[in-house]
Amino acid sequence: MSGPVHADLVLMLLADARLPVAGHTQSGGLEPGIRDGLGTQDVPAYVDVRLRTVTEVEAATAVLAGRLLRTGAPDAAWLDLEQAWEARTPSPALRDASRRQARALLRIAHRTWPGAPAWTALAALEHPSRAVALGALAGHLGLEGRAVAHLVGYDDVQTVCAAALKLLPLDPGSVVGWVVAALPAVEAMAARASCVLDVDDLPATTHPLIEVWAQAHAATTRRLFHA
Amino acid sequence: MSTTTEAAGALGRLGRTRVRVSPGVGGARCRVRTSVTGTDPTVPTVRPVLTHHDARSARLSLVPEGALLLAGDRIELDVTVDPGASLEIVEPGGTVAYDMRGQDASWHVDVRVAAGAALTWAGEPFVVAAGADVDRRTRVRFTEGARLAVRETLVLGRAHEPPGRVSLRTDVRSDVRRVLAEDLALAASTAPSLLGRARVMESVLLVLPEPLGDGPDEDRFDLAASGATLWRRLAGAAHEASTATAWQHARAAVLEAPLPGEER
Repeated sequence: MSGPVHADLVLMLLADARLPVAGHTQSGGLEPGIRDGLGTQDVPAYVDVRLRTVTEVEAATAVLAGRLLRTGAPDAAWLDLEQAWEARTPSPALRDASRRQARALLRIAHRTWPGAPAWTALAALEHPSRAVALGALAGHLGLEGRAVAHLVGYDDVQTVCAAALKLLPLDPGSVVGWVVAALPAVEAMAARASCVLDVDDLPATTHPLIEVWAQAHAATTRRLFHA
Repeated sequence: MSTTTEAAGALGRLGRTRVRVSPGVGGARCRVRTSVTGTDPTVPTVRPVLTHHDARSARLSLVPEGALLLAGDRIELDVTVDPGASLEIVEPGGTVAYDMRGQDASWHVDVRVAAGAALTWAGEPFVVAAGADVDRRTRVRFTEGARLAVRETLVLGRAHEPPGRVSLRTDVRSDVRRVLAEDLALAASTAPSLLGRARVMESVLLVLPEPLGDGPDEDRFDLAASGATLWRRLAGAAHEASTATAWQHARAAVLEAPLPGEER
């Protein structure tokens, strides 16, 4: 970018579903969840529990990646953060889905902001997770931790709700209502995640059922969404 | 084996069990040091009973002394396995955390396994009855080159009752990397959203210095750390959640491999 740009515009850019990062291939675990018996009435609670578990881990990891970038942390710190995220993501299918999303994001990012210091930092990682890649990109674009956590939370809510519209007999209007209803939980999650200063404070709120679903989903060929 | 009683202090009703196994010198049987300390004589503790003992390996059974686990109980289990030694831990039965009527209890496990050492811990079901409030932590620290297998079975509620509250924290690391970190806050209100219809979560963690070759594919999560595998099954009842095959495989992978300097 050749001139200063307000952080709001950066946030809009990164949160926009039209950004070609294959967001439409993700259901946030909803598709296997429905196969296991989740119904329409369960979706808002599912969105909420994600925000308190896997999405909070993702957001806090992204917040820390932004912090590492700002402080010019050494390669070892990036590796430690990535491994901390891996240790909180037991499902290989979920790690793989995250890395695919990171690749799509970084492809666009490299092309749009070539030579950014963030890419040098990420080079310490063979296959960065989406959390770390997104955190580094957001950090490069000057987003604060709270905004990054908002981004991760909001994106997760929209991902699940948009997938619900394709998987369940729903009216788009009611889905918007779910998204709006989830915003206070996004806010609360972002408040917690943006306070994480050190990798040892990273939340480890995993979700056993989502991990089991992810493994089963990766093994099936009958699916609309990648994960 | 020594049992001492400390004066009751600020620690509450703390029952601490320490175990350390080192290889024997010059062909002697391996050295097994254990201690059980309680803040007062009535504190329930877990007593390690040695059931097998040779130059390299020992087998211990962790036998509860007194009613476990009740309000105010603080159980600490510290286990260390030194280089060249092998320890197998079994439990004679499951543990029930009973109704604590507004109070709480804790169960903290701290494991250290050195490079060239082996540990298996066949945990039996840990049942969180209605009204219980338990802080259960498992901390594993190992040096690259260690072999270990740990089984944990969590049961939410006895038959025909809702679950109590349990904070289940697991943190497994080597000297060079993080392997597994999980915090699960389970209660009657949160358990359905985290475990669905399941009331039982059975986990088998295996850490080997080399990548796992074959092994049961069912319920298997290959962790990012090389050589680390988790088998996990969620089920409606304890008899349905069987990672028995995974456990047999994991136990054998740890105990049947030769220790450093040992010919097989």
